Amino acid sequence: MTYAPMKPTKPGYEEPHEQIRKIRITLCSKNVKNLEKVCSDLIQAAKAKAIRVKGPVRIPTKVLRITRKAPCGEGTNTWDIYELRIHKRLIDLYSTPDVVKQVTSITMEPGVQVEVTIVDV
Amino acid sequence: MGKKKFIDKKKSATFQLLARDFSDPNYSDSPGSDRVFVRVDNNPVSFDTVFDEDNNCYNDCQYDNEDSIFADAPNDNGDSGDDYDRVLGSSSRMVVNDKGALPENVRKEILELGFPDDGYNYLIHLREIRNTGGGSAFYHNPKFKPDQLPHDVKAYDASRVQISNSKGNYNEKSIYSVASNTLNARMNKVFDPEVAALLDDSDLSRFGSDIEDLEEDFIVRANTGEEGEGDESGKKLNFVEEFEFIDASVKNADTKSGNQEIANEVRNYQGEEKARSRRLLDEQFDILELKEYGSDDDDDDCEGYMAEEEEFLADKLKNVLNENDMDDLEHDDVYKAPADLLHGSKSPKSKELTADIMRRCAEYAENYENESEDEKVMVVQESSDESEQFDCESIISTYSTLDNHPGKIEAPGVTRKKKLAETVSGALSAKSQVISLRGKEKLPLDFLPNSRKATAEKVKIAGSIIPEQHKRKQHGQETKEEKKERKLAVKKERSEARKMKKAMKELYRSETQQAQKVAAISGPSAIRLM
Repeated sequence: MTYAPMKPTKPGYEEPHEQIRKIRITLCSKNVKNLEKVCSDLIQAAKAKAIRVKGPVRIPTKVLRITRKAPCGEGTNTWDIYELRIHKRLIDLYSTPDVVKQVTSITMEPGVQVEVTIVDV
Repeated sequence: MGKKKFIDKKKSATFQLLARDFSDPNYSDSPGSDRVFVRVDNNPVSFDTVFDEDNNCYNDCQYDNEDSIFADAPNDNGDSGDDYDRVLGSSSRMVVNDKGALPENVRKEILELGFPDDGYNYLIHLREIRNTGGGSAFYHNPKFKPDQLPHDVKAYDASRVQISNSKGNYNEKSIYSVASNTLNARMNKVFDPEVAALLDDSDLSRFGSDIEDLEEDFIVRANTGEEGEGDESGKKLNFVEEFEFIDASVKNADTKSGNQEIANEVRNYQGEEKARSRRLLDEQFDILELKEYGSDDDDDDCEGYMAEEEEFLADKLKNVLNENDMDDLEHDDVYKAPADLLHGSKSPKSKELTADIMRRCAEYAENYENESEDEKVMVVQESSDESEQFDCESIISTYSTLDNHPGKIEAPGVTRKKKLAETVSGALSAKSQVISLRGKEKLPLDFLPNSRKATAEKVKIAGSIIPEQHKRKQHGQETKEEKKERKLAVKKERSEARKMKKAMKELYRSETQQAQKVAAISGPSAIRLM
């Protein structure tokens, strides 16, 4: 990265607000379809802005299961299993926060959580 | 592994993308501004420049808006989120000062708390007061303003309303006329100025007692009055004291304008109590009282009597406290017997007491000495003469019903005697001198009544001759008839023998029963005859 210097040394030196930082966007959702749609939208937008993007990293889905005895049916092994699947995607960018703001201002699907983590450099 | 992370979570700021509140002025339907980034971590990283919509809008974004429903929720970052606005080294626009200097707001807070401004952040040693325990938890709601009224309450200032004195015309609607004359001076703050003054007032001396430093026997003094005056003066004193006290409280009340009416009322009440005119009902009550509980005294006398009683009471109290017998027993560290005291003391009362004590002591000593240990107190019970005489009924009545059973207690049968006489005579005449006891039960068979043996023997003796003659005939030369006769005779013999046997058996049984009865009454119960 040969962009703006990391540390200001002189007071009065005007630094650009836009400083390339490492940004990680974490997307969580319970349903995959929406999640994948949002993911692809984000990546498309980022690539349109010509910034470095590291593609959607798919974290293994977490399945939360609850088992209960089925209300109907006698005998052994009559259980009901309820599960909740949580999908997580990561997108890493190297850009300025403003760009990221624009990128994320896309139509969002319901049920998708977006978290943006910016490293302080 | 040592793999370099892309993002170090502890050195980064995390924002969540949330939907913007509808009441936010920045809200619009476009995808760009219907969402807002809200910081969700607590790392000591300053990112004021990041995700600012305007430069100063960060705080608003943080709290959305004052009117949003989450506005009065406690902040996730804590109220002192500003404390963490130190800059780690660099880059933010906020670093205008020298490196290492504290931000302005931090410095202000330190100064407010009284710490010196020497560049050291004392706030790191201070903890914010939170509701972490200690009994009830106080939730400091910044939106709660106690002075301000809630919106559904309206208060009007009526302190300057003059209610005209009633001319005796108490109509129902007067309250409305009063209300209509009031000015609508609506108030927003409704702390009573007097109450507020009281609350702020730290001088508590006003509430001290006017009557201070009472003497120890103030009750007696109050009852007897000053220097033995009569009951009336005593009463007066009480009354005056009462009135004084009330006056004092009334004076206190007077200082507050709002309570002046109450003070007036109190005074009036006091006055009225004393100067009430006697009504018909009072007289009726007095008459009734006389009738029901009455003595011949008049009203005044009754009252006088009561007054006298009080006087006596007061005097009694006085006397009781003056008696002080204990003071007379001044021993001067020398043991004195009652007799010595008797001779030594001069006051008649103590002489009497000690004399009495001595007498009683002597009595007790006498009783103790005269008491002997061997005396037994015998209780002699007289027996009545009637109980000495017994008759049949009384004897039987002394038996229990186990014994006193009609089956057991009966007159012996008269008929037995005759038969007994026969058998006895018969047996005696025919037999030898020894009475033989035969059978299992060892009964004197010959003397038994209804004993057919005695008679049967005679019959047998008589009857046994005839069959013996027939037996002498030849064995093979019997005719059929002779055989038949012989057989018949044998049969007869056997049947008769059977009858005899049965009769004897019955006889034995009855006799043993009789013997058992006799033995049950007279003999020991160990003998079993049956």
